[in-house]
Amino acid sequence: MRDFKKNTGKWGRTLLFFLILAVLLGGISRKIAKTAEDQEKWVHYRNKSALLLEKEQKNTIDVMILGDSLSYTSFSPMQMWNEYGIPAFVGGQSGQNIQESYYMLKKAFKNQKPRLVILETNVLFRPQKGASGLTMTLAAAGSYYFPMFTYHDIWKSILTGKEYPEENYKGFQFREVTNPYRGGAYMKETAAKEKISRTVEDYLEKIRSLCRKNQAELVLVSTPSPLNYNYRKYNTLKAYAEQREIPYEDMNLKTQELGIDWEKDSLDGGDHLNLSGAWKVTRFTGKYLHENFSLPDRREEGAYASWIEEGKKYEEKAKEKLEAMWKDDKITGEEVENRRERSLPAYE
Amino acid sequence: MSYHDPVYLFLFLPAVLLVYQLTPRKKRWLLLLLAGYLFFWTISGKLVLYLIGTTLFTHYIGLWLELLKKSCAERLEREKSLNADSNKSSEKNRPETGEKAVREEYRKKQRLVLTLGVCVLLGVLGCLKYFNFFARNANLLLEQAGQGSLFQVKNLLLPIGISFYTLQAVGYMADVYWEKIPAQRHLGKLALFLGFFPQIMEGPISMYGQTGEALWKGEDLRGENLSAGSGRILWGLFKKMIVADRLYVLVKAVFEHYQDYSGSIVAFAAIAYTLQLYMEFSGCMDIVIGSGRLFGVRLPENFCRPFASRNAAEFWRRWHITLGAWLKTYVFYPVSVSRLVKKWNRFGKKHLGKYLTRLGATALCLFPVWLCNGLWHGASWNYIFYGMYYFAILLAGAALEPARIRAIRFFHINEKALYWQIPCILKTWVIIFTGELFFRANGLKAGMTMFFSIFRDFRLSVLWDGTLLDFSLDKGDYLVICAGVLIAAGIGIIKERNLLKGKGLQDMRTPVRWAVYYGLILSVLIFGAYGIGYQQVDLIYAGF
Amino acid sequence: MEKLMAILNDIDDSIQWEKEQGLIDRRLLDSFGVISLVSELEDCYSIEIEAGEMVPENFNSVEAIYTMVQRLQEK
Repeated sequence: MRDFKKNTGKWGRTLLFFLILAVLLGGISRKIAKTAEDQEKWVHYRNKSALLLEKEQKNTIDVMILGDSLSYTSFSPMQMWNEYGIPAFVGGQSGQNIQESYYMLKKAFKNQKPRLVILETNVLFRPQKGASGLTMTLAAAGSYYFPMFTYHDIWKSILTGKEYPEENYKGFQFREVTNPYRGGAYMKETAAKEKISRTVEDYLEKIRSLCRKNQAELVLVSTPSPLNYNYRKYNTLKAYAEQREIPYEDMNLKTQELGIDWEKDSLDGGDHLNLSGAWKVTRFTGKYLHENFSLPDRREEGAYASWIEEGKKYEEKAKEKLEAMWKDDKITGEEVENRRERSLPAYE
Repeated sequence: MSYHDPVYLFLFLPAVLLVYQLTPRKKRWLLLLLAGYLFFWTISGKLVLYLIGTTLFTHYIGLWLELLKKSCAERLEREKSLNADSNKSSEKNRPETGEKAVREEYRKKQRLVLTLGVCVLLGVLGCLKYFNFFARNANLLLEQAGQGSLFQVKNLLLPIGISFYTLQAVGYMADVYWEKIPAQRHLGKLALFLGFFPQIMEGPISMYGQTGEALWKGEDLRGENLSAGSGRILWGLFKKMIVADRLYVLVKAVFEHYQDYSGSIVAFAAIAYTLQLYMEFSGCMDIVIGSGRLFGVRLPENFCRPFASRNAAEFWRRWHITLGAWLKTYVFYPVSVSRLVKKWNRFGKKHLGKYLTRLGATALCLFPVWLCNGLWHGASWNYIFYGMYYFAILLAGAALEPARIRAIRFFHINEKALYWQIPCILKTWVIIFTGELFFRANGLKAGMTMFFSIFRDFRLSVLWDGTLLDFSLDKGDYLVICAGVLIAAGIGIIKERNLLKGKGLQDMRTPVRWAVYYGLILSVLIFGAYGIGYQQVDLIYAGF
Repeated sequence: MEKLMAILNDIDDSIQWEKEQGLIDRRLLDSFGVISLVSELEDCYSIEIEAGEMVPENFNSVEAIYTMVQRLQEK
């Protein structure tokens, strides 16, 4: 009997320990999330899109775009809005892995009813062998359920006033530097295929079923990037998409149609696109979505007044920047350096 | 997988604990062994075969030595009875010489077996770890001599932890040879000794007598062990994630592009690296020892407040203790009773006098220890230099010891007083920082350049003129680093000066203990260098 | 025993050898001390001390050292 009492006492204490811990973590997590929401400028670039997504007005987003840095350097929602009245949002993050794409989408479905989900396919080729995939899964799930993990660095802003003040247009930012790609043709036909990790496949399935459940259509898109894409990846994705009847678009095969000029449209020598490249890709994408998915033009709807306003602001700035970018045929190395200092790198 | 990885902390370790508790006591060793091989496999894949091969081989050598011992005893027994018989018949036989001869004969055989065992194990280690170094330098020599390069540099895959488990295996063989322990008949026991998962990546290098049997016991999980173990793990994470991983960026930047930085930054980076290495390695040891403790296994300590050392020799008794102990037991002492040293002692006594004889013997014994220490860390000239650096310092220390004692007596210095201890400690810090500078440098040449740059271009102003903010470390980061170091130093001082009278965290009242636990958990979660803007930093010593 | 005391006092006469029970554990005798002691013992008693004998238990006190010497002499 005494033993029993002693044991229950022990278990009770352990339970109490973890209970208090849970309350502490929950409380601090909520407090941190609230602080982040109130003080947008304290939130790191990589988390900012997710935060802004949560703050979007309920049920206004029609197209949700996911992916790593290729996604947010290629698609500009405000341009799509100005041209076709399609309200889109880029929930891309630098180095986003598929687990994070999944949780980003989950977050999107909490407040929004996107009809279309575009997944930039570079996330599918991030190797996730063995334990590394498991680590990513744990990290992504942890950050989703405990915002504390995501925003834990906010103490820096509180203590030392560190800020991340960049403009953010529904997940897109201006990147005006040009650093040409001169490696020549990179989509050389072959029958070989690139492997996709098991974990990635599993999460892609999860994304698909999440889309099905929320009546959204999933589209796979590969944006132009000589350093990240090749024909092997195209083969893999094509086979995968055909088998599962998912629409798939590889823009790397259509750079002519898009009008991509590697002298002018690359941010960093063929890895990411700059504003000019994004403009071309977005123009193409808007048309493609408009023609293939019968998305409504929301420009007349009252709920989108703030979009109209932001769209105008965006248009003005974009025009000025694009003109400057297109004006000079050959930019000097010095000019590249100058602009680089002024502009954002792809990873922020 | 790695010890600071969430997969280890939140999945692997809890799963092993759970299954361990559910497994019947007699089979628990098997579970731990399987967990060890699984852990190994997640890092090195098929190379786990090296570990298994080493285990089988070590087991075999142990049994062989045991067999020789047994047959020696039998022979002696027979000899004795034979002698007893023959003694009756004739008085001419001298039994003692016969006995001695038999002993000698078997000793020789055993030595041969041991040599074979050690050579094979070290041979494997040497081939995998040092072949390329050897090939490169041999080619260099050949090219100098006008010959083409002869050896091809190969891409050899190193099984994780080979430097650690090989030393454990060699130690085991020697212990059996010296009859410190009986040979282990059960293959599983030996396998677990060599493949206990917390020890695989970075040690501590234990001797069979320390952990061999404890691992085997399969004791039930107990509350106090779980609590003490988790506390230790948290403390390790605190050190690694809050301090070490933050310093990583700075250290990497300066050591990789040392030409771009002024001498003061180089000096700063040397200190930062020493801190990073200590916080990382000792933090990882806390996680490892804590993990062992969860299962009720007490692994040997690897650090004992090294920055409180008053001289380099003491530093090495407090830093990477198990490597030092291994080298002392299996290199230093064997060399010290070797024929060479004995000859030297005899020669010295006749011709040189006590002081020089002793100094010479010290040099003879220390040299191989420090050569091994340097080489063990890797095949590179800067590691060899690192070993020789400490060899020179320790030898100088031994040479000056009589003079030091005389000076202390002459000036009536109280060695225990702070006015004497603090300068000694600071002097030792300089020695440590310099050593680690060469240790971390990308090659010996880079190390030399860095070292001399400190004397050329030294301005303290870089510490506050904003230069330090260039390393993607902002004010907040430095603040947290300082706070973390101060907390660690505070705890170190409390322990060193025994301010709590030998009491530890586990002896404190529950609210205090819980507050410490919560504090650790929250500070790791909030101030830890993880997530955006930080890189997950691999364990440094896992690379050795 | 007297021979042993003479050797020990020759190494360091400031230590009260008979009283100490932790010569190694309390670091009165460091590893250099041990090796010079060993070489003296070997010469004096014509024994051979193997590296395996170099464990703290054999050197912590005068008695321990003496016991070890006697054991090795019998071999």
